[in-house]
Amino acid sequence: MNELTIAMPKGRIFEEAYELFVEAGFDLPKEINDSRKLIVEAPEERIQFILAKPMDVPVYVEHGVADIGIAGKDVLLEQLRDVHELLDLHISNCYIATAGLPNTMMNEIAPRVATKYPTIATNFYKEKGEQVEIIELNGSIELAPMIGLADRIVDIVSTGQTLKENGLVEYEKIVDISSRLIVNPVSYRVKSERIRAFVAQLKNELIKR
Amino acid sequence: MGKIQMFEKPLGMRDSFPEVNEQKEYIRSTARNFIRNKGYDFIKTPSVEYFETIGKASAIDESSLFKLVDNQGETLVLRPDMTTPIARIAASKLLKEKNPLRLAYYANVFRAQQREGGRPAEFEQLGLELIGDFSAYGDSEIIHTAVELVKALGVESFRITIGHAGLLTAFLTNNTDTVHQVDALRQLLVEKNFVGFEQELDNLGLLQEQKENLTKLIDYTIDFKVFENFRAYLTNEQQYLIDQLEQFKRLLELQLKDPSIVSFDFSLASHMSYYTGMLFEIYAAGSGFPIGNGGRYDELFRQFDEQVGATGFGIRVDRLLEVLPKRDVEEKHTLLLFTEGAYLKANVLAEARRNNAERVTLQYIESVYELDVYKQSFDEVLIVSEGGSLRE
Repeated sequence: MNELTIAMPKGRIFEEAYELFVEAGFDLPKEINDSRKLIVEAPEERIQFILAKPMDVPVYVEHGVADIGIAGKDVLLEQLRDVHELLDLHISNCYIATAGLPNTMMNEIAPRVATKYPTIATNFYKEKGEQVEIIELNGSIELAPMIGLADRIVDIVSTGQTLKENGLVEYEKIVDISSRLIVNPVSYRVKSERIRAFVAQLKNELIKR
Repeated sequence: MGKIQMFEKPLGMRDSFPEVNEQKEYIRSTARNFIRNKGYDFIKTPSVEYFETIGKASAIDESSLFKLVDNQGETLVLRPDMTTPIARIAASKLLKEKNPLRLAYYANVFRAQQREGGRPAEFEQLGLELIGDFSAYGDSEIIHTAVELVKALGVESFRITIGHAGLLTAFLTNNTDTVHQVDALRQLLVEKNFVGFEQELDNLGLLQEQKENLTKLIDYTIDFKVFENFRAYLTNEQQYLIDQLEQFKRLLELQLKDPSIVSFDFSLASHMSYYTGMLFEIYAAGSGFPIGNGGRYDELFRQFDEQVGATGFGIRVDRLLEVLPKRDVEEKHTLLLFTEGAYLKANVLAEARRNNAERVTLQYIESVYELDVYKQSFDEVLIVSEGGSLRE
């Protein structure tokens, strides 16, 4: 049986995904959650976990240093990498939307949009037929309309609480997001039996949910 | 972007240092002998072509093209692939002299990187094209040659997955209502986005039966290896696709020593829009990307106003290098250091050794920067002086 390397995002998604794996019947070590290690072995299953930043998971999988990865659809849409998207894990559900101060219009001359997702935002406004200027930020996107940096933001919305607390309203929903199981194209062929069995076992658990 | 420093190269451009260069040379000569023995002739084409012809006919996305403008104002491209220039030569000249035509190449091609490093923007590709043959024998020859070549190059563990562009189009068309839907679904298969594929089935508003049929395409538990299973989903006019595939598979089983290397997957789709028949990808353990791909591309010749069958494949040398085991080159490299007055003597000695197929570097000893460091690059060191030669 081939060894499988799985790139996992650190943080909340990791916990949900790990729980899913355990419920699907994979024999995994318990102490993995509170470990600070970056590489964790699950010898019973011949699986090696790499713990990475969520944004980096598709990079590891694309280059083949991880066979499988778990990545948010937002990251996949933003980075457009060469990976196979095999399963929707239906965890960490949320969506990407545009938001801004209530009852405002976009600036007509130079509409500005602040976001962590420049590709997604660009494509969305392109499809709408509007040319906008994208301002890339790395966090606290909600600040941008409040201090006059941008007319709109494009960001992840899960409950809408953050928007509300900062006096922003949602304008348009762009796309639904959840965590996906991604696979390297070569691993998918070279380790096909192992990966198909792995996917089938997960799929069985997902159907039950 | 800051000021460009002297040591920098454009994004995605790579140097080949001596060791890597030797590896490439080994690949080139091994492949060349192998391919010539199969009756293929090697050719070269210009690095620069017109955007209007080669640039547009090649299936490489326009944003990946390196463009230049010549002094007439025409847009030029650095060739992004070799298949299209070869089609140009074949259609305009060589096919009139010889048909079918077997051509091969080892050349560098250029594809601009927009986003980041980690992928070369210029890389060597070796491949071959069989032009003027519509038959399954041609397809089988290509797969067989690809398998044998990859083996001959020393790749130990690899697999080939074969799909069929014509069959996929027929299957998608039969189960959808518009060309737009076919394109949308095919694009998702190219991206191997199975999640998106299933979602799209819901979005497109298809009939339940259509949806169920299409889902079978990505359900690997259904065995389409038995091509007969496909017949029920095809119209009478499309049945010939299965006949062809069955013949193709029979030929492969006849020709391949180990048929288990090859498997069929009809969800395999390519961003290369000119493929019309069988298409395949070669995967090797050790590289995260396919090391090669190919297929039947009769459609490309229609752009050059020709109706000929064509099939071929290309292998990426850069990815091949990643998967090949390190080769120890057995050769002796001798350093002859000569002192003042011993130049002629050293030359005679070097010549004698070179005639013996030895590699000899001749160097005036006083010019060497750090003698001890310099000596380490060689297997044997001799100092030649007027008095005699001394082995170190």
